[in-house]
Amino acid sequence: MSDHAVLLQGVTRTYGSGATEVAALRQVDHGFPRGGFTAVMGPSGSGKSTLLQCASGLDRPDSGAVRVAGQDITRLAENELAVLRRDRIGVIFQSFNLVPSLTAWQNVILPSRLARRRPDPAHVRGLLARVGLAGRERHRPAQLSGGQQQRVAIARALLGRPEVLFADEPTGALDRGTGRQVLALLREAVDEFGQTVVMVTHDPEAAVRADQVLFLTDGRIVDILDRPSTAQIGARLDGRR
Amino acid sequence: MISTLAWNNVRTNRLGLAASFAAVLLAAMLVSGSGLLVAGADTRDELSDIMGLLVLSAAVSGFVAVFVVAGTLSMHVLRQRRTWALLRSVGMTSRQVSRLITAEAMVVAVLASAAGCVLAVPYAALMAGFLRTTGLAAADVPVEMTTGPFILALVTGPGVTLPAARVAARKAIGVRPLEVLRESAAQRRLLPWPRAVVGAIALAGGIVLLWLVPQVKPVAAVPAGLGATMALCVGASALGPVALRVMGGALGALVAWIDPGAGMPVRASLVTQPRRAMSAASPVMLTVALACTFLFAVATGDAATGITRTGPSAWAAPMMVGSAVIYTVISVLNATAMTMAERTEEIRLLRTVGTGPRQLVRAVCWETLIVTSVGALLGTGIAAASLTALGKAATGEAWFAYSPLQYATLVLVCVASGLSGALAATWKVRHGPLLPGD
Ligand SMILES: Nc1ncnc2c1ncn2[C@@H]1O[C@H](COP(=O)(O)OP(=O)(O)O)[C@@H](O)[C@H]1O
Ligand SMILES: [Mg+2]
Repeated sequence: MSDHAVLLQGVTRTYGSGATEVAALRQVDHGFPRGGFTAVMGPSGSGKSTLLQCASGLDRPDSGAVRVAGQDITRLAENELAVLRRDRIGVIFQSFNLVPSLTAWQNVILPSRLARRRPDPAHVRGLLARVGLAGRERHRPAQLSGGQQQRVAIARALLGRPEVLFADEPTGALDRGTGRQVLALLREAVDEFGQTVVMVTHDPEAAVRADQVLFLTDGRIVDILDRPSTAQIGARLDGRR
Repeated sequence: MISTLAWNNVRTNRLGLAASFAAVLLAAMLVSGSGLLVAGADTRDELSDIMGLLVLSAAVSGFVAVFVVAGTLSMHVLRQRRTWALLRSVGMTSRQVSRLITAEAMVVAVLASAAGCVLAVPYAALMAGFLRTTGLAAADVPVEMTTGPFILALVTGPGVTLPAARVAARKAIGVRPLEVLRESAAQRRLLPWPRAVVGAIALAGGIVLLWLVPQVKPVAAVPAGLGATMALCVGASALGPVALRVMGGALGALVAWIDPGAGMPVRASLVTQPRRAMSAASPVMLTVALACTFLFAVATGDAATGITRTGPSAWAAPMMVGSAVIYTVISVLNATAMTMAERTEEIRLLRTVGTGPRQLVRAVCWETLIVTSVGALLGTGIAAASLTALGKAATGEAWFAYSPLQYATLVLVCVASGLSGALAATWKVRHGPLLPGD
């Protein structure tokens, strides 16, 4: 069990009730390997975001267990969950990742400050330089492009070095070149620091950077491919459509 | 077409408009209720003393109404900026949007004024009873049922709302649709020049009135003092963002040092969005400034003429102020609730990166405390200036009487309503699931 950074056991999540009831996840069992890069693919509405939200403790499943480092996070109280999010989990969304009133620098050190830690300024500066944002430390989100904002969010996730990094279509709103840079950074987190990355994506070119690709349909995992090629991913997606 | 859309908008945004409705309703009720009493007292010579007080309190209500209605409307319009941007991006012209906003506000104003007129009758009866039992009035104050006060209220409500809605509409269409939809949160200018000019003129007018207070006839001193307070309030609320950036920045730095996690976003929000913060500080400033001027002007006058009030009579002035304070409390509650509700997305994000529930409560409370304190400080300064002038008029010395207990109660009520508004407005986002962007 310890070779799984996140383990989902019989996770079910249903939205609404009665006539408008939607089963977004149905009895999902899956272990995300520690230090692995997993991509989650599937048609729109198949439950990818819901899977990510349940696995990262942003939302509680209706039934089933989600184990992070062996601990069932569905049973944690709100303040224990907050500590978990602060220290062990990083989340990157497609947009609105940064607090608008805080500078890039302040956004990066926010989780540390929440824990009353004072990160080494040289380390923070180096990190921002590595994501290509040297000299932008004092810029606020409104003064940064979408790709730059995304990279600030990644720098935040790299600073605390959380065990698991969740990303929901992190390249969805970016151009090809910027998207590649973001993917390279996620890959680095896995290869250099042994972090676990779970990324939802529509793009076969992005998924091909992962070690493993999950395919979701109607709230169920229907296929898992290890280190597939772009052609294999494309074929798998076309076959389903 | 516009009126149908406006009516539908009113129906779907009931909560956002409830504050505007309450503000106009109370204004109409206070104005026409006081009018009914004034009309009744007018026929009796022995009631000429109380007449002045009634007219003054009606004038103060009217002034506060302008402030509160303008504040609640502009917040409501700002909150709905996505709707306006969307309407414009599908081809509505800015003139049509402006008409829509105005029509929407007028629907509310007319309904609220009518309701206020209905409530004015029991209010006037209540006040008449209160004036008699406290001995504030020398004789029974009859409630005279004439149409005049009702017409006045029906004109005041929409009359106050119309310019406020116009200003709010101008703000709404001043934002280009794309800016809003891209959520670039374009940083608003700290002090656009029309605002700076209005602020400077109002401040100058207030200072002139302060200087005039000791010069005019004694009967005119109190109205002139209240006028000075009102003018200074207008000036301070226009120039307030500058004060808030400085004072808020300093207090925010202190909080960020005491409580780093919760304090960092608090300080940043005060420094980057002082105008948003000022819209929450304004009603506190107004309440403290007007209530203190009103209350302690009476106390100063009494002290100067050697009157000591005991029993119910001692509570007459505080209770009259009390009814006005209830009014401003609503606006403090509304203003803090609105400024916090604007930040749903931000709070969700703070939780996502690991802000604990208690840290979040502290952040909300710190920010509200700083904003209400700045408002209270500004209000205290304004009241002290007017009272000093009034004291000089009454005794020849720069001195005034005040009650620390009444002052502390007033400030506490403001702070408590600010905190309840902020905590209530953030309850849902502090506790609900963390699903992004809905
Ligand atoms: N907050 C919500 N309320 C109701 N239904 C939802 C909510 N979020 C998602 N759903 C529904 O759950 C299903 C899965 O959604 P989601 O996980 O967002 O899919 P994906 O990310 O794969 O596009 C969809 O049918 C969607 O309509
Ligand atoms: Mg999705």
